[in-house]
Amino acid sequence: MDLAPEHAIIAKGVVKTFRKKGRRKYGIGPKITPDELIYAVNGVDLTVRRGELFGLLGPNGAGKTTLVKCLSTLLLPNKGTAIISGHDIINDPIAARECIGITTGGERTLYWKLSGRDNLRYFAALYGLSSEEADRRISYLMKIMGLEDRQYERIEKYSTGMRQKVSISRALIHDPPVLLLDEPTLGLDPSFSRFIRSFIKKDLNQKQKKTIILTTHYMDEADQLCDRIAIMNEGKIVAVDTPEVLKRRIPQDEVLEVRCLGHADFSGIGQRVYADSVEGVTIYRIHAENVEDIMSQVIQAAHSAKILSMNVTKPTLEDVFIHLTGARLTGEDNEQ
Amino acid sequence: MDLFPSTSRILRYLRGMNAENVKEWKIELTYRADFIRGMLEPLIFVFPFVLFAMSLMGGRTSSVLEGLTGVSDGITYTIIGYIFMGFLNTAVWGMGFALRKEQWYGTLESIFVAPVPRWVYVLGMALHSTVHQGIILFFQILVVYVLFGVILNVQGVLPVLVFIALMLISLVGLGLMVSGLALIFKEGWIVSEVLYSLITIVTPIAYPLAVLPPLLQKISLTMPTTYAITGIRHFLIDENMGVGLLDSYSRLIIIGVCWIITGLLIFQIVDRKVRREGTLAEY
Repeated sequence: MDLAPEHAIIAKGVVKTFRKKGRRKYGIGPKITPDELIYAVNGVDLTVRRGELFGLLGPNGAGKTTLVKCLSTLLLPNKGTAIISGHDIINDPIAARECIGITTGGERTLYWKLSGRDNLRYFAALYGLSSEEADRRISYLMKIMGLEDRQYERIEKYSTGMRQKVSISRALIHDPPVLLLDEPTLGLDPSFSRFIRSFIKKDLNQKQKKTIILTTHYMDEADQLCDRIAIMNEGKIVAVDTPEVLKRRIPQDEVLEVRCLGHADFSGIGQRVYADSVEGVTIYRIHAENVEDIMSQVIQAAHSAKILSMNVTKPTLEDVFIHLTGARLTGEDNEQ
Repeated sequence: MDLFPSTSRILRYLRGMNAENVKEWKIELTYRADFIRGMLEPLIFVFPFVLFAMSLMGGRTSSVLEGLTGVSDGITYTIIGYIFMGFLNTAVWGMGFALRKEQWYGTLESIFVAPVPRWVYVLGMALHSTVHQGIILFFQILVVYVLFGVILNVQGVLPVLVFIALMLISLVGLGLMVSGLALIFKEGWIVSEVLYSLITIVTPIAYPLAVLPPLLQKISLTMPTTYAITGIRHFLIDENMGVGLLDSYSRLIIIGVCWIITGLLIFQIVDRKVRREGTLAEY
């Protein structure tokens, strides 16, 4: 498999399966359900250009993290391979890892008993930086992350957002050309999320020209940041394009977003209706050619629920996702 | 992929090993009470051995032991055997649990994406454990000198260090093997416990080889600890070695090479297996 000069990552036919063992009677007896083969990644082909910010969008369990783990050599694909900056992840994993910086999900990916600076110093050594280089690089990263005043404190005293900043610094410690960022804003408060998103887009992508694969299940994040997006579902890539082109894939209806307390039956109104529930509020997105025509029907149909607000919007990436897969990004299938 | 790593890669691996050692010291020293316990525990553990030996011999010396080993002082014999066996601890618990510990911390995947082979972490831990054990050894010798008046032949220190170094080669192989197995068998302490117990039984720590059943004597001759402990005691308290010095060194080297190859092989197989099955970060 050849890598064209403009390509930083090429994945070809990547398959990753896991065996789910069948249940046994009383835990040790004969199997009462057979073993099951789960295709976490099912024949993924992917090309990412140098300097591109490429998003992997999909619900939990779509295979985004598994694909990233295959690319970073943490998992061995059953079939297929990938080339990262000219290095095959199966035949030369160490050379491939030299070109990658990665943040994986979870808070405990750092040593909590060490300071932020000591954590970075340890990883700098693993990436082959000399002591002087490491000091210079750590000081630079601590400064741009705004952690200079806290760098000698133990990680256990940091907030979740600060830990994520150290995790991203760790991924950048050896200044790699390729970054794999797995859900970098997951669980962060809005101000930290804004900082991380802006840092990824402006500093890492636009200024430093890093090639970035960003996995997320936040559609706004993918829409705002990514040059191109691959939508993943059940281990497969179902669409790849720029956010704008993806959004043009569905009929350019208007969307009436109705937020209400309780449940209403809007089936049969407009072209399509999708429902979601956030903190007790049910959100319906009703696609229609002309929203004004359906307004009175909506109000009538909502008699059992209390309408909190109604907004007219344009189709979003989430609508594209639902259109392509029939499922919501939250992993629920709520089409009415 | 090159068969042999470049100089820059080897330097990176060495830097990685040292970083692992330094990191472990820093983490260990944050748990001060546990650190002190770790230093004192081996001292406390030696007492039952000594008291048991004294009760059997009805004192400090034994003519039977002298006939079998050339050393009449059973207390000194037992203590030396015991404290140098501490290095076995470093292999099965220190090195063996190097990666398991990272699983507990939650950092295993973070370190496994770094561009160094996975055995670098185990060897880094070997470095840490050896230094750690060296400090314990120093204190143990000091304490048993004060409490039991154990006097060692200082001139024998150099060949003793060679014995320790050669024994460590084998123990690194054992550590690699245990470390790999601990990634599959999530209750890796069972592997450590079983290996530790088996090796301890067939090693002449508190008794000479002659008292073992013939089959165990044969197994004992395949253990690096047998030659190392006997050799160490020979130079420190004049125990009969049974085999010549060069013969002992050669056997230790051969066993060391075999154990290292076996350890690396098992480690690589397990590494591939857990990456294929996706169970790397599970614990």
